[in-house]
This record gives sequence, C-alpha cells and structure tokens, in this order.
Amino acid sequence: MENNNLVEKLSLQVESFQEGFEILCKSFSFDEMVKSFLHIIRGNFIVTETYSFHKLNSDSTWNSLSLKNVPDTSYLSYLHASEKPLIQYYTDQKIDVSITLPLADHSYLGILIGRKLDKSHFTDFDKITLQILLQVFDSAHKSFLNQKKEKKLIFDLNEKILQLNNLIDTGIELSRYDNKNILFELALGRVVTLTNASSAVIIINDAKNDTVENLISFPSNIDVDGVLNSPHKIECFFEFNDKNYRFILSEKETRKGATSFNDLDEMLLQAVSRQVNASLENEYLLSQSLQKERIEKELALAASIQQKIIPENLPKIPGYELAGINIPSREVGGDYYDCFDLGGGKYALIMADVAGKGISAALLVSTLNAALNSYLEFNLPLSELADKLNKLIYKASPPDKYITFLIALLNSESGEIEVVNAGHNPALLLRNDGTLEQIEAGGIGLGMLDLGIPYTSTNTTLNAGDKLFLYTDGIPEAMNTKEEEYSDEKMIEFFKVNSAQPLDDFIKNIVEDVKSHVGEAEQSDDITSMILKRV
Amino acid sequence: MSTEFNLISELQDKTLIIKTEGYINNSGGEKIVREFEKHSDINKLILNLENSKVVNSIGISHLIELIEKLSQTNGKLVFTNLDPTIEKTFSIMGLFQFADKSDTVESALKG
Repeated sequence: MENNNLVEKLSLQVESFQEGFEILCKSFSFDEMVKSFLHIIRGNFIVTETYSFHKLNSDSTWNSLSLKNVPDTSYLSYLHASEKPLIQYYTDQKIDVSITLPLADHSYLGILIGRKLDKSHFTDFDKITLQILLQVFDSAHKSFLNQKKEKKLIFDLNEKILQLNNLIDTGIELSRYDNKNILFELALGRVVTLTNASSAVIIINDAKNDTVENLISFPSNIDVDGVLNSPHKIECFFEFNDKNYRFILSEKETRKGATSFNDLDEMLLQAVSRQVNASLENEYLLSQSLQKERIEKELALAASIQQKIIPENLPKIPGYELAGINIPSREVGGDYYDCFDLGGGKYALIMADVAGKGISAALLVSTLNAALNSYLEFNLPLSELADKLNKLIYKASPPDKYITFLIALLNSESGEIEVVNAGHNPALLLRNDGTLEQIEAGGIGLGMLDLGIPYTSTNTTLNAGDKLFLYTDGIPEAMNTKEEEYSDEKMIEFFKVNSAQPLDDFIKNIVEDVKSHVGEAEQSDDITSMILKRV
Repeated sequence: MSTEFNLISELQDKTLIIKTEGYINNSGGEKIVREFEKHSDINKLILNLENSKVVNSIGISHLIELIEKLSQTNGKLVFTNLDPTIEKTFSIMGLFQFADKSDTVESALKG
C-alpha cells in the first residue's frame, strides 16, 4: 500500500479513534473498558473471534475476561508478559494476532484475535491501526486510573470530614442520654461508622468480683465469642463507679475483606469511650445533685417539724421569769428543751440532748417529746417517769443512740423543785447570795441500757433571787479554730457575772459570748439553754 | 459472624424498590448491589432505608457504585425514609449530587 494512501486512510480514522477513546474513558470498570475495546477491534478489523485476559502482576496467572470461553487452554501459550507492548502476527495458527499490553497499574492485558471474516491476514494498514488502537486503550486506561484515583481522593477526604463531624456529633448526642442502654447502643453505632468496624461490643463488669453485668453489641445478635477471638480487633477500657467498661471492635472492613485496625481507629475508639465515660460521670453527678436536693428538702421539712416541737413561747409562771433558746448546728438538731404547764401551779422544765445530730437525732427528739406529752399527764413520780422514758427510748433507738435528759419539776407556789438528771450536764443553781450548786443526781442517759437501774431524784427549793440554769454541752464544749473549748469554767463565770441581767438578755448574751469564743470555726454542736429565776 | 442485614425488593415497571434492615456495611452494601444486578433495564432504584440507622464508608462505596451503574443507563437512585444521621452522612459524602432523596417511597415513585 502506498504511504500516501495509508496516511489518507488513517486521517479518515482519526475521528473514530477519538470516538473510541471517549467510549473507553466512560467505562465504569476495567472489565467494561476491555469489553468496549474488543468491540472496537471487531468493528475495525471485521473479526468475530476475540478473547481478552488479565494478569494482575508478573507472578499471577492469566484470567479470562471474555464472555466467550477460550476453546482450550493452549490459547494461553500465545500470551507472554512483557514490559513492552508485544504484538505477534500469525498466518498458520489458531489465531491471527496475540497482544500482550503492560498497563500503568503493573498489570497486563492479553488479547487474542482470530481470523478476519474475509479470511485475509492482517495488512500493514491493519497493523498500524491496531498499534494506534492499543495506544488509545493505554491512554484511556491511564485516564481511567487517574479518574479512579481522583474519586478515591475525594472519597477519602469526605470520609475524614465525616469522621470529624461524627466525632463532634457523637460527643453532643452522648451527653443527651441518661438511659444507659440507649447511650451504649448509640456509642456502638457511632464507633463502627467512624472506624468501619464490622461489629462492636461493650462488656460491663463488676470491678469487685469481675462478673459480667451487662453486654451490649452492634449488630445486636452477633456471636460475641467471634468478636472476642477475632484476629482483627482493638479494645480499650475505663473504670467508673466500681464497674469496668470494655469496648471491643472487630474486623475493620474494606471492599476486599477484613483488615487490621490502624492507629487512627484506636484513637477514635478511645475518643468515643472517653465520651461515654464523661456522659456516665455527668449522669452520676446529676443524680447525686438531685439526691442532695431531695435530702435538703427533706431536712427543711424535718426542721419545720422540729420547730413545732421546740417551744415558740415558754409559759408565764407567776412569781418567776423564764427564758430559753435553741440554735441547731444543722438544719435539724438533737437538742430539746421545753416547759410544760402541768396545772395546779406545777411546771416541768425539760433539757435533753440526743447523742448525734441530724435526722436520726431529730426523730428521737420527736419520740421524747411525744412521750413526755403523754406521760406527764399521769403525774408520775419523776424517777418512775425517767424509767418509763428510758425503756421507751431504749426500744426506739439503735444501740449507739441515747438521750441525756434533765427534768426539773417546779411547784411554783412553794418554790420546791425536784430534779432527775439522766446523764445530762449538771443543772446550775445560783443562790441569791452568789452560792453555786450543781445538781447531778439521777441515773444513766435514756436509752443507754435497760437493766432496771433506778433513777433517783433530788429536791431543793428556789428562793427569791435564785436562778436555775439548764444547758446542753453545746455551750461548754463549743470550740474555736485552735480547738479550745468554751469550758464549764467560763460558762459558770459568765452565769455568775451576768445573771442579774433580764433573762432574755442573759440568754442572748451567753450565746454571743460562746460565738465570740468560737470565732471563724464552724458551730460543731447545737446550743440550747434555759434559765429560771424566782422573782 | 452475623451482620444482621436483610432486604426485600419489589419491582414496579422499570422501578426497583429495595427496603433494607440493619447495618449497611461491606456485606450489606454487597447484598444491595447483588439485588440490583438481578434485574435488568431498571431506570429508577428506590432505596428505602427506614430500618437502617447505621452505615459505614464501605457501605457508602457500594451505594456510589450503584449510582454509577445507574448513570450508565441514565437511571436514577432515590433514597427514602432517611434517618437524620444517615442523611447528614450522605450529604457530607456528596451522594446527593448524583442521587435524589425523598421522604417516602410513595413520593419517590411520583417524582
């Protein structure tokens, strides 16, 4: 064929080469590209018998890509992996052309072409056309690889943005849930998305005896042993509130199967587990805060009840002055004082202190108050009354709870006074002439023992100007920041020096003196006192 | 290991409706593609993800493959009943540049 004629014919084919390139570039997959290429070859050379093969690398075997099966394996002997395009033409073989084309991804394309329909062999013009077509395929394949690479880059970039977004959303969403199972399920769903894990498990163990308390998995019905024994797994732990939380991910997915997790996956798993940990802590702190709020409300209620037990106003006793005060160290206290008008000019002055403070002490105060209200009506001898109260408090209180108690029964007309002191601080009686007497007779604190040990009472008489001072240990034992007590001595001295004051003033002033001693230190005990003066 | 993924499909003329249930990961994504490939001459694929709340990027790569396959024949993929998290995921991954979304299968059929 004349060269000029060849050039002319090739020029006419340029447009079809361009069209072929575009068709190949539009291919969705490599297989589809090869299929289109064989179609182009069949159209250009008018052949029906074409076969295509692919070899992933120089060490692998040829795999047929053609829909049409190769008649026999001997056809493969025409293919030789070569680093350069290899085109061989035959005139006396089963096929007319064998092609081995090394590709940009280091794989090889093999093509076998049979006899043309007109039984003629490949001309020079055909050979040049075939070479150009192979170059077109090579260029299209490179373009295909670049497009694939570009798509992968965009996909990877979007995936990173997605991971970042998911991580932020996970933190926000996990903080919203106080239902633990929903929290764990959400965390598992998020972490498998973040890491492409096939499955995930959270195992919650009791830290003390190492027993499994709960197990949550994603998907929900997976074989947990399969996860635990997976060769591709990562895990992390945290301990909170006596429980161990173990997070396990298994089998990082790829399109080609499971693979090992990478450092980023471990970081993501730890990030999610930390978010779960923080959410559990927040939920715990919130519940603690709510519980504290509830206790405070209950304490406020108890305080309001106790305020009704502590007398708002003491009775007016003709011929006497009487004043008292109670300052609890907490919302509710364990000190108690009262003065009961028993009728017939008789009055019962009470001073008591429950061992301990808070709700439990307040409950015993209530019990004592109720018992006194009941028993005092029967006009019992004081020793018998104390015995009954002891039995009642003993039954009503735990072993470590008891009440120090003092009752002074006053006959206001005669000034006679009978006192039983059940383990309480001594009553101080300051005579008008300045003499101080301490009344201690009685017995053990109420509720300490129930052994029938009798209580004894002591009798005395209040004369004009005499003062009886009852108090709890919150006054002499009040401590300052140096842990120095106010002391009995200082209290007695204050009593002696200031008892001429109006009683209300005396009561306020002794409390102020105690507070002045305490200074910046916290009030450690209830302060209660009562003073009676015969005018 | 069970991946707890199921699907059901229904063919209406040239529209294939696939409803999935469970984790759309590699295995789930493969099942969707295989179901699609059972049918020929499909010009619309409606993927009802009402019961799929979790998807990973491998599952998404299968969905992209479906979009590309459909585009070869000028077909269209429509996602319906999307969980807000999955909708955001698809949006970030750029799926809605090449696929549509609809609230329900019924509205996807009309569109």
